[in-house]
Amino acid sequence: MIRNKKAIEMGFNWIFAILAGGFILFLAIYGATNFIGMGQNTINTETAAKIVAVFDPLETGLASGKSSEINLVKKSKVYFECDSLANPPFGQQIIAFSEQTFGTKYSQKNRGVPIEDKYVFVESILEGKKIYLFTKPFFMSLKVADVIIMGIDDYCFYDTPLEIRDEIEGLNLKSIHFPNSTEKCEGKKVCFGKTVSCDVKVSIKDNLVQKDGKKLYYVDNLVYGAIFASPEIYECNVKRLMNKFNELGNIYLDKISIIERKQCEPKIQAKLNILMAGAKSLKTSKELIRLYEQAQEIDQINEEAKPGCKLY
Amino acid sequence: MKKQNLVANYTKMKNKKGQLQIQEMAFMLVAVLFFFVLVGLFVASIMYSNLHEDATQIAETRTLTSVTNLADSPEFSCVLSKSNCVDEDKLISLINKTSYINFWTFSSLKVVTFSAFNKNENEMIKCTRANYPECELFLVYDKNVSNERAISSYVALCRKEYENGYTYDKCELARLVAGTELKT
Repeated sequence: MIRNKKAIEMGFNWIFAILAGGFILFLAIYGATNFIGMGQNTINTETAAKIVAVFDPLETGLASGKSSEINLVKKSKVYFECDSLANPPFGQQIIAFSEQTFGTKYSQKNRGVPIEDKYVFVESILEGKKIYLFTKPFFMSLKVADVIIMGIDDYCFYDTPLEIRDEIEGLNLKSIHFPNSTEKCEGKKVCFGKTVSCDVKVSIKDNLVQKDGKKLYYVDNLVYGAIFASPEIYECNVKRLMNKFNELGNIYLDKISIIERKQCEPKIQAKLNILMAGAKSLKTSKELIRLYEQAQEIDQINEEAKPGCKLY
Repeated sequence: MKKQNLVANYTKMKNKKGQLQIQEMAFMLVAVLFFFVLVGLFVASIMYSNLHEDATQIAETRTLTSVTNLADSPEFSCVLSKSNCVDEDKLISLINKTSYINFWTFSSLKVVTFSAFNKNENEMIKCTRANYPECELFLVYDKNVSNERAISSYVALCRKEYENGYTYDKCELARLVAGTELKT
């Protein structure tokens, strides 16, 4: 009986081959997975960098605004972060990207591409295939920067003041509609009047936008930023803009000392110093209103200066 | 006794044969691994060089589009928003202003006045607050990268001058030069 019992011979060679083969197979699968992941990460980083490159031709220069559109091949997510303390004194934004790979699954987002010289007012995550963007200059007596607005959703603007409606219609944006109160419109509701159920409420009188239960104060073209951006990104970018204003203020103070030698008597210096101090210490957008009033005083003084002695 | 010796010799031979097979297999495995590592390195090097190429291309495109708009940016723009005009009185303030080095994406940024168009950079008179406006090269910043490609754009360079009781803008042609680091 014992002699007849058959057994499979598992010699050392077999065990060694199975272990080594398994190890090699594991390495190959691990390597291939990493390779695919790395390739996808490269694509995501490249796409994020290409989106940043789209911002450059949108600089307004002397224009009152510009608009453009980004059409993505697959349904994608674009992630935005903002840090007013990074890259001092200007702060920075980070843009990351991921796209649908298998079915509805998204690839892992890349580490992010930094944006230092642009001010992008946008929701924290954009999801879709078609992104629209437009730029508007932001002035606080002098031009501070261009504000870039990015969006993906449709918006329905109710009771819009004529000035804002003309500006947006001039940009030829297909995703922003101006329906009557009786017309049907699908998209985020932005109300300038007293309509009750709205996603975004704008009070022109108080320079205030109410969104996601938060109050965002605006001046000049920042109204668009407040409507389209997430409250966190809006407040962060307002701080970044004030940091930039402060740096620009230093350049203008130097210019004042130069043109003083050319028989010009600029009376802006003291007021500009006060405004710069206010901009540097800005904590929330609420302080913008007071700063803007000071900026308008500076504007008036500059307007009254001799033609050859205007500062800006 | 003889039989026992034969068995012992047979076992020894079998062991030696087994050892040889293990050695062969180990060498084979090392060779296979080495082959895969080489293939991996080759693919990675191709991917890496493509990545650098793409990054440089994107950076160059950005520099090209930025440099044409730069003169109209708040840091450079002239009074009353003249198009494509650089304010020399603001430009002198930007020199040695370290905060802007990490603001723009260029690896270097300078403005060359018309009088220095045919000169080498080391022959140009560099602008400082002391010699302004009697100078030729406004070096805003230079990151001193080893491999750089420069793109330039012609601009009007204007400053305030006072003459015969009037303050006026004196303008001349200049070249705004921005560099992009080429990653190799």
